[in-house]
Amino acid sequence: MFAGVAESTGAWSPAEFEARLRRVGTERYHDKHPFNLRMHEGALSRAEIQSWVRNRYYYQTRIPVKDSAILTKSGDPSFRREWVQRLHDHDGRAPGEGGLELWLRLAETVGLDREDVASLAGVLPGVRRACDAYVELVEGADLLVAVASSLTELFAGDIMKTRIAAFETHYPWVDPDGLAYFRSRTTQAPRDARFGLAFVVEHATTRADQERCVAAVERKCEILWSLLDAVEAAHRRPKLSPHAVLRDDQERPGGAIAVLPERGVRINDAGREILALCDGARTADEIARELGARHADEPHVAEDVHEFLDQMDRLGVIVR
Amino acid sequence: MSGPRLWNLIAELTYRCPLRCPYCSNPRQWASIRDGLDADTWSRVFHEAAALGAVHVGLTGGEPSARRDLDAIVRSAAQAGLYPHLVTAGVPLTPAALGDLARDGLRSVQLSIQDATAEASDRIAGTPSFERKLAIARCTREQGLALTLNVVLHRENLAHVRDVIALARSLDADRLELANAQYDGWALVNRDALLPSREQLEAASRVVAEERTKASRPELVWVLPDYFSGRPKPCMGGWGQRLVVVAPDGLVLPCHAARELPGLAFWNVRERSLAECWRDAPGMNAFRGEAWMREPCRSCEKRTQDFGGCRCQAFRLTGDAANTDPACALAPRRDAVLTAREHASAAAWIHRGA
Repeated sequence: MFAGVAESTGAWSPAEFEARLRRVGTERYHDKHPFNLRMHEGALSRAEIQSWVRNRYYYQTRIPVKDSAILTKSGDPSFRREWVQRLHDHDGRAPGEGGLELWLRLAETVGLDREDVASLAGVLPGVRRACDAYVELVEGADLLVAVASSLTELFAGDIMKTRIAAFETHYPWVDPDGLAYFRSRTTQAPRDARFGLAFVVEHATTRADQERCVAAVERKCEILWSLLDAVEAAHRRPKLSPHAVLRDDQERPGGAIAVLPERGVRINDAGREILALCDGARTADEIARELGARHADEPHVAEDVHEFLDQMDRLGVIVR
Repeated sequence: MSGPRLWNLIAELTYRCPLRCPYCSNPRQWASIRDGLDADTWSRVFHEAAALGAVHVGLTGGEPSARRDLDAIVRSAAQAGLYPHLVTAGVPLTPAALGDLARDGLRSVQLSIQDATAEASDRIAGTPSFERKLAIARCTREQGLALTLNVVLHRENLAHVRDVIALARSLDADRLELANAQYDGWALVNRDALLPSREQLEAASRVVAEERTKASRPELVWVLPDYFSGRPKPCMGGWGQRLVVVAPDGLVLPCHAARELPGLAFWNVRERSLAECWRDAPGMNAFRGEAWMREPCRSCEKRTQDFGGCRCQAFRLTGDAANTDPACALAPRRDAVLTAREHASAAAWIHRGA
C-alpha cells in the first residue's frame, strides 16, 4: 500500500524523464565551464593546453576502470556484450590501439613526453580527487545509477565537434593527426549514449529511481566541472589576500600564522616557502615547478604545492 | 599551571550603545558597569594578550565607536602586533572617522544590520541608523578593509533572508553572518517574541542553500540555532581554551555572559596582569577541560567537539552551570528548550533598556 502511495506521486513519462536528463546537460555540462569556453575561443596558452591534456589523461585512465566495475554489476549477458565494447574502445584489442593510445598521441602532438604523461606524474591533486570521486560513485552505486552517471555522453558528441574545429582554427601548432581521439568519440559517444539512455529509461520506472538517475548525471557534471576548476586554478597567479597578515608563530620556529578577519591559519615552514612565491606574477604551476626543482630530492613536491594552494584558497589566505 | 594558548582577545570597550536591539547580549545591568579602562590600560592589555599568543583582537561593546579614544586604542592594538577587527553598529561612527581608523591600523570591520530595509532595521534598532550603516559599509570597502555584515535573525526577519543576502551582495561584503539569535541578555527577556518556528528556519535554510549556488561572494555563514538542532554549540571553542573577553570594567571572562554565573571569582586587569587573570582566576578554571563534566557529557564522544555546550545557557535554563546544556538532545533538562519552543509566539518584545 505504501509503495502504491509513493508511486502515485507520479513517475515521469519516458519523454519527460529524458527531457529532465538532457536539461542537466543544458544547465551544467562542462562545455559551459570558463576553461572550455576559453579553449574553444582559442584563448588558452600552450602551457594550459598541455596541462589540460596531461591532467585529462588521468580521467581517461579511470574510464575503463569504472566500466569494468559496471560490468560486474550486471547479470545480463546481452548488457555485458554491449558494455564491454567500451573497454575495447578505450584499451584497444592490442597494444598500440584504443582511446588511451590515441590520447597519448595527442599528448605527444602538444609537445609532452608520452612516458611522462602515462606515468601520471604531475596530475593535479584536485583532478585526482575529481576522477577518483567518479570511480567511487560508480563502485558504490547500483547498476541503474552507475549507468546513469555515464549519460554525460549525451552531450559529448557536440563538444568533440566543437573541440576539433577549435583546435584546427586556433591551435595550428597541434598536428591534426593528434586529434584522432576526438574524432573517434564523435561517433562512439552518441552510440554509447543511445544504449545507456534506453537502459536507464527502461529500468527507472519509479519516480524515486528517476530522480536518482537525474542526481547521478548532476553529480557527474559537478565532477567534470571540478576537474576543469583544478586545471584552471593551476594557471592562475596566486597572491596573499589583501586582508591576510603573516606573523611569526612563537610556538613553532620557522612557522607563521596567517591572520584573517575571522580566523588564524597556522602555516609550517614549507608552507611559508610556498607563500613567499605567491607574488601575483607566477602561476601556481610555475610555483610548483620552481619548488619541485629546488627540492628535487623529495617526492611529490609539486602535488603538495598544489594541495597547499587549494587549501589556502579555501581558507581565504590567498586569492587567485 | 601555564594555561592554554590564547588566540583571540575580545575587547569590550564600553557597554554604551545608541542602538536598543531587543536581543542585545550585553548584561542586563549594563548601565551600572562603567568604562573602567583608559586607552593606556587597553594598550597594556593588548601587549599582554600578544605575549600569551593572541593574534587577533575584536574591538566590540556595546558600541566601540562611542569611545572618543577609539583611534588611540586601534593604534595600540596594531602596535602590539594584533589584527584589529572592529565590531560596530555603524553609529556614532562616521566615514571620516573610519578612514582615520584604517590609517591607524584597523584591518577589518564587522557591521551589524538589523534587517534588509530602513524601516524594519530602524524599528529593531530603536533608532534611525540604517542609512548611516550603509555609508559605513561602503566606506569600509573604499578603504580596502574586509567587510563582514552581521544580521541577528529571529521570528520577525527570518522571512527576509533573501533580501538580506541581496543587500550584502550590493555592498560587496566579504562575509555575511546570518546569526540566529542566542537567548541570553535581552534576547532571553524577549524569547517568546523572538524565537522562530521550525518552518521559518527550514525555509530560510533553503534560501541560503539556493543563494550559495548563485555566487561565491559573500561567504554565507548560516548555522541552525542550537534550540532546534539538538546539538549544543561549541561555545567559545571551549571555556578558557582559545578566547578571552575583557569587559569594560576590566573583568576578564571566558565569554561575554559569564559574569552572571554565581559563585565564580573572575579577576580584573586593573589589579592583575592579563596572564594571571587568564591562567589562574578560579572562575576561569572552573569549567576548563573535562573534569567538571557530569553524565551524559562525561562519557559522550562529542565532548571534545562541543564541550557540553554553553555553561551560561545551562545555568539560565536549569539553575546549574555544570549541567548539560539543554540545547543538547541528550540533556536531562531538555524540557527547558522544548517548553521554550512551545511558548514562541508573535508576542511584543521590548527594547534594551526599556
